[in-house]
Amino acid sequence: MEGFAAQKLNEFETGKISRRGLIESLTLAATTLYATDSAKAQADQTLKAQLINHISYTCPDFKRGADWYSMVFNLDQVGATKRDVALPIGKKGEQPYNVTAKDVPLPHLIIRTPDANAAPPAGGARPKPTPQGVIDHFALTVADFEREKAKAELIALGVKNVRDGGPRSLHMDDVFGYDVQICGLENNALTDG
Amino acid sequence: MERFIADLVKSFESGKVDRREFCKTVALAATVYAAGDAAHAQATRGFRVIGVNHLSYTCPDYTRARDFQINVFGLENAPGHDDGKRANLMFGPEPGKGGTFIVARNPSPTPSNRPPAQAYVDHYCYTLSNWDEARVRAAIKAKGQEISGGRDGSLHVLDPFNYDIQFANIIEENAFRR
Repeated sequence: MEGFAAQKLNEFETGKISRRGLIESLTLAATTLYATDSAKAQADQTLKAQLINHISYTCPDFKRGADWYSMVFNLDQVGATKRDVALPIGKKGEQPYNVTAKDVPLPHLIIRTPDANAAPPAGGARPKPTPQGVIDHFALTVADFEREKAKAELIALGVKNVRDGGPRSLHMDDVFGYDVQICGLENNALTDG
Repeated sequence: MERFIADLVKSFESGKVDRREFCKTVALAATVYAAGDAAHAQATRGFRVIGVNHLSYTCPDYTRARDFQINVFGLENAPGHDDGKRANLMFGPEPGKGGTFIVARNPSPTPSNRPPAQAYVDHYCYTLSNWDEARVRAAIKAKGQEISGGRDGSLHVLDPFNYDIQFANIIEENAFRR
């Protein structure tokens, strides 16, 4: 905790984070991350993903992309920069659905546009290798999902290529032709596929 | 509404309600109706997203992606859904109660006729609870993986197919603290 506090204080002093950011970081750290049984944590070499933190979505125009996701899924836009914006699934202060751990934030989409003038990796670092795997679509869980009603709403919103995804979900094309799925809680790891 | 007004008119005509009461009742009915309509419109406009249901990951050999996710990030293989072509890898809350899963799958034998999208998911990020920097880094190393980038509290690793996966704590990766 002491090292973390020192790091954050340094960031504050060098202007990397604001006074508010400093206070928030330290408060959060003191009440969550470092409030756990550290001895137990040290002994445990198992990592366990708790939730998706974010999905990073790259597109030609992040504002257009973000506006589409906001319009269709009622997601707010926060923390916009020149090249990206975050769309949290939920409102500030809320817990992720059915998650009680206080150190798990709301999942969010980050809609971004690449910087065409970005400098090459510094210090001769290798560029990222081209992946052979691809996320071909992602699915969002919607409360009180009813497929036919949802289909009508999507079509009314002007969403393109709305189609059934089995009995429990719908697929659609987003504004850049990316495949997005929506479904209810009944579509899950034990029922899908 | 129409029926209600009709009945009200009838009452007025028969003298059961006077002019003043009639007008007040109509105005009140209109207000209640408008409020109900607005509430209905509010409730049905758009969707209420409560989480990420799943990510569908296509790669040359789903078994390698599956084993990586189980070994490195503690995901669980959903029983009965590993069919030699795909697997559902669960994490988070229970299935049906908000849990998420990664579908690791082999490419479809039939090529897609979908036009290529102009967008793509370049990486995704897991939240790890009870983050301890030294423990997390040591665990990654112990699993034979190499940290491919990031900073304290927010690290990256490449899966067997060089797909970028990030893992982070609430402080470094939080939509409201960007």
